[in-house]
Amino acid sequence: MARTMAKKQVQIRHSRHNMDYILLTVVLFLIAFGLLMIYSTSSYEAGEKLKDSAFYLKKQLQSTVMGFFALAIMIKFPYKYLQKFDLLAVAVSIALLFLVLTPFGVTRNGARRWLDFKIISFQPAEVAKIGVIVYLSSIIQKLEGLGKNVIRTPKGIAIVMVPPTIIAGLIYIITKNMSSAIIVMGIAVAMLFVAVPDYKWFIAMGAGVLAAVAAVVGYVSSADTTGAGFRLARVRAWLDPESYSTDEAFQTLQALYAIGSGGIWGKGLGQSMQKLGFLPEAQNDMIFSIICEELGFFGAMAIILLFVILIWSCMVIANKAVDRFGSLLVVGVMAHFAIQVILNIAVVTNTIPNTGITLPFISYGGTATLFLLVEIGIVLNVSKSCK
Amino acid sequence: MTAKKNRKKRKRNSNLQKVKTMKLAVMMLIILLAFAGLGVRLYVLTRDNRNDYQKKILSHLDYNSKTLPFKRGSILDANGTILATSEKVYNVVLDCKVMLDDEKNMDPMITALVQCFGLDRGELTKYVQDNPTSQYRVLKKRILYEEREVFEEYKKEYNTQANEHNAKAADEDKMGIINGGIWFDEEYIRRYPNNTLACDVIGFTGTDNNGQFGLEEYYNDVLNGTNGREYGYLNDDAILERTTVAAMDGYTLISTIDANIQAIIEKYIKQFNDEHMNEEREGLGAYNIGFIAMNCNNGDILGMASYPDFDLNNPKDLSKYYTQEQITQMQEGDGEEYYKTLNELWRNFCISDTYEPGSTAKAMTLAAGLETGRIIGNETYECGGSLMVADHDISCNVSSGHGTLDVSGSLEQSCNVAFMKMGEAIGVKNLVQFQRIFNIGLRTNIDLAGEARTASLVFTEDTMRAAELATASFGQGFNVTMIEMAAAFSSIINGGYYYEPHMVSKIVNSNGDTVKNIEPRVLKQTISSTTSEQMRQYLYATVAEGTGRSARPAGYAIGGKTGTAEMVPRDHKNYVVSFIGFAPADDPQIVVYCVIDRPNVADQPHATYATGIIKNVLTEILPYLHISRTEEMTITEQEEADNLLGNIVAGENKDNENGDDSENAENDNNNNGENGADAQNPDSDSGKPTYVVDPNTGELVNPDTGEPAEMNYNYEGDGSNAVPNEGEVQPSAPDGAQ
Repeated sequence: MARTMAKKQVQIRHSRHNMDYILLTVVLFLIAFGLLMIYSTSSYEAGEKLKDSAFYLKKQLQSTVMGFFALAIMIKFPYKYLQKFDLLAVAVSIALLFLVLTPFGVTRNGARRWLDFKIISFQPAEVAKIGVIVYLSSIIQKLEGLGKNVIRTPKGIAIVMVPPTIIAGLIYIITKNMSSAIIVMGIAVAMLFVAVPDYKWFIAMGAGVLAAVAAVVGYVSSADTTGAGFRLARVRAWLDPESYSTDEAFQTLQALYAIGSGGIWGKGLGQSMQKLGFLPEAQNDMIFSIICEELGFFGAMAIILLFVILIWSCMVIANKAVDRFGSLLVVGVMAHFAIQVILNIAVVTNTIPNTGITLPFISYGGTATLFLLVEIGIVLNVSKSCK
Repeated sequence: MTAKKNRKKRKRNSNLQKVKTMKLAVMMLIILLAFAGLGVRLYVLTRDNRNDYQKKILSHLDYNSKTLPFKRGSILDANGTILATSEKVYNVVLDCKVMLDDEKNMDPMITALVQCFGLDRGELTKYVQDNPTSQYRVLKKRILYEEREVFEEYKKEYNTQANEHNAKAADEDKMGIINGGIWFDEEYIRRYPNNTLACDVIGFTGTDNNGQFGLEEYYNDVLNGTNGREYGYLNDDAILERTTVAAMDGYTLISTIDANIQAIIEKYIKQFNDEHMNEEREGLGAYNIGFIAMNCNNGDILGMASYPDFDLNNPKDLSKYYTQEQITQMQEGDGEEYYKTLNELWRNFCISDTYEPGSTAKAMTLAAGLETGRIIGNETYECGGSLMVADHDISCNVSSGHGTLDVSGSLEQSCNVAFMKMGEAIGVKNLVQFQRIFNIGLRTNIDLAGEARTASLVFTEDTMRAAELATASFGQGFNVTMIEMAAAFSSIINGGYYYEPHMVSKIVNSNGDTVKNIEPRVLKQTISSTTSEQMRQYLYATVAEGTGRSARPAGYAIGGKTGTAEMVPRDHKNYVVSFIGFAPADDPQIVVYCVIDRPNVADQPHATYATGIIKNVLTEILPYLHISRTEEMTITEQEEADNLLGNIVAGENKDNENGDDSENAENDNNNNGENGADAQNPDSDSGKPTYVVDPNTGELVNPDTGEPAEMNYNYEGDGSNAVPNEGEVQPSAPDGAQ
């Protein structure tokens, strides 16, 4: 008993020296830079429409301050307690998603995705992402505890993958938010990928996804799809943005103009033309294009490098984590960041169709920043107890 | 056991650790590859499209830039009456996106638009629903300032109410307001307050500020200004600022035309047309009727008119002369016929059409003879009704012959035989030379667009042989334009000074400052003043004793010459009849010239058709020009003159007799009867004529009532029907003219 106590104390003392300050610094820098860019991109539109050029900056600042409290709490809160929340995390996520259908749910910007509890309002999809990370880390660790290959049996796969699939499905059906659904599924697949030694399933799955994409693209480009849903329209706009420059591809095309016109060194901070009403709501998911326009290819690569450092730090922490659970938590967070950053930049550069995924810490969005900081808090918490 | 288990566990853990490390590395690799791919994509985008996309973005700047249209200069008559002006109008533009900032604003806005501009609610609502992001939709074109004010008033009133209501109401019950979703684009349109008055002289201009015909075309560049620009730019603090470069308005022309003289001329041309319409053949009273009145001492054109005329506010309206069916027929195919007809209508007969002058040219022949000394003045000529010249038997206008005539008598009787003999005496060389001296065959360079070239239509020494010499001496065989004749004739009677005829005396800028004064230009001395004086006497005698008798207005001594030219083919059917004259006979002030191209009568070759118009016009404009009567008048003449001058205001002016409101335009009508003539109108001892322009104030007045006239415009080109202006000079158009 005493031995275990002593061991624990040693661990904690050990951890205090080990928190990943590089990761923290990168995050703080990204948040500061994000606030700067939100002000830069939104001040003109906010000044024109809301008569307060700092409107978006102020709102983002509020959620960021709340986010820092959450971050501080998560750094202190021993992550091991999260282990108990496996099924609970899933249940809470699903419950919150269903709450959107009740009067608590509110519609903003034309989509019913928010929950408003008067004191706090947020998107349940953001909670669900953390919920899925917590559930998977916990359940994978438990399954591995049962036996070497339990997780690789069909039943094991089902236990691991079915709840995230349900959550993703609900996100898509209830909140019509495909981007969050993709992220949830992406996180789940990435965590499973790290957990099991297999490659061929994943390669097969990747090939399958690619084939499906190719089929959709082929269908859209050959068949007459006028009148089809807006997602197909987005695909069409992606394939040929110039032809749809007035409607579906308007945003994408304006983003491309912004990127292209920035050149290598950019026009200088605050000098974007596109934010002056031509790229609507530039502070949201298209903020990266304004970064490209103002800071150029150089600035954009610098931001990408910061994200690479962030993800790299996560990888190192995941690798060094003392236990399986902590390690998987960090892998989930890492996957989350990587997917979001890659998809966002891919959308902005018109590499994939528009999905509406935001850029972590930089795009405007209170809930997103709050829960991303919670995730970073968990990672830092894990990093404290690294070997 | 425990150790074994532990070892096993540790082994499995280390296995798991290896797998994890490996997998993490693979995942990281995939992520890095993705980032690398995106980096390359970014680089390619910036490298390949930089210039292209920069241009696209710079083109956005146009959204922030707006053209401020200049105001095209006006055209005023000699008294300052507006003949043509540009008026600011507004296009109503709807910005659905701005309007729909708040859905609630849609309903009040549409209600306002329906009420203020009479738009269709259903159509408007449908458009907004179908195009919620449309930012530029012109709802109504060219509304007047007053119409715009109606909307602004409505908006103000409604918004005040709505704001009061909203201050108290809960969120859900708030009323929409009329926000900035509507704005007004400025534009100028060309307006001609007098509709048809001086249409051929003024010409017309569409919204493109490109004048066509007449002064509008000739002075297009002077009338046009430079567009201004309002544009946005980013200042150092990246705030969009607006700057305005004001438009430079065009210059205004002060014409030598006097709207009153012009109106009088047009009145009598029209009268002739109405009298002879459909008389001999279907159609107008003549193919063309032209009239020029010019100041013979400086070349100022006081009035220049031709018939058929057209409404400058609606120049493409042919309904006055053709039925709708005929117009549709003309428009068929490529519409060549239609545009040809329009072009015929628009062209100014007085400067663009050529014809053989006939006997009016005898004045030139005689002047040339006297100036060269080939004719001394004491010659006599024997006329037997025809003369044999180079195997042609050329007959005189009186087939029985005039008998023996002296020089004056030859002109008085317009004897062709006598002039053929004079021509022979003058000789080819001299006659051709004097035609050049009188500028026949050369453009007068009058400041109007479309003056015809007649160089190929006159004789040279090589082309003029004996027969041509004979016919040319009485005005056949070569072609002239009216303005050529008027300018040449002026020099014959004014002492020999050839003035370049002109229409514009002054160019002023938008503030009224003079930019340029156009002084009379004497180009040359055509004949000596002695010859000129002699010519005046001959021409006076022609009117007093000879063929021109019917042109003399009662109480005045004038000089002039008739003309009756047979047209090609010479089948004694079609004639151009004319009269050119000057007044007063002893001190010429004004030259008048009237040409009727194929009058619509059974027996055409009578100059009386032209002299009738001349007489009526002179009877009215000579008093207007303050030229006193010098001759005694018989009772019949007196009555006739009274009738002409007083016919419009008979009875009307009695009521105003002692009216002392001198500012009123009526005051010109008051000084008749026992009030006697005032200093300005010494001859007004009879019923007073009324004018379209008050000669004292320069304001436009209604000739029927003498009240200052309301300007009643017709829109040009907006599809509204041209309503004949009732207060206008012209009586309403005859219908069914073909």
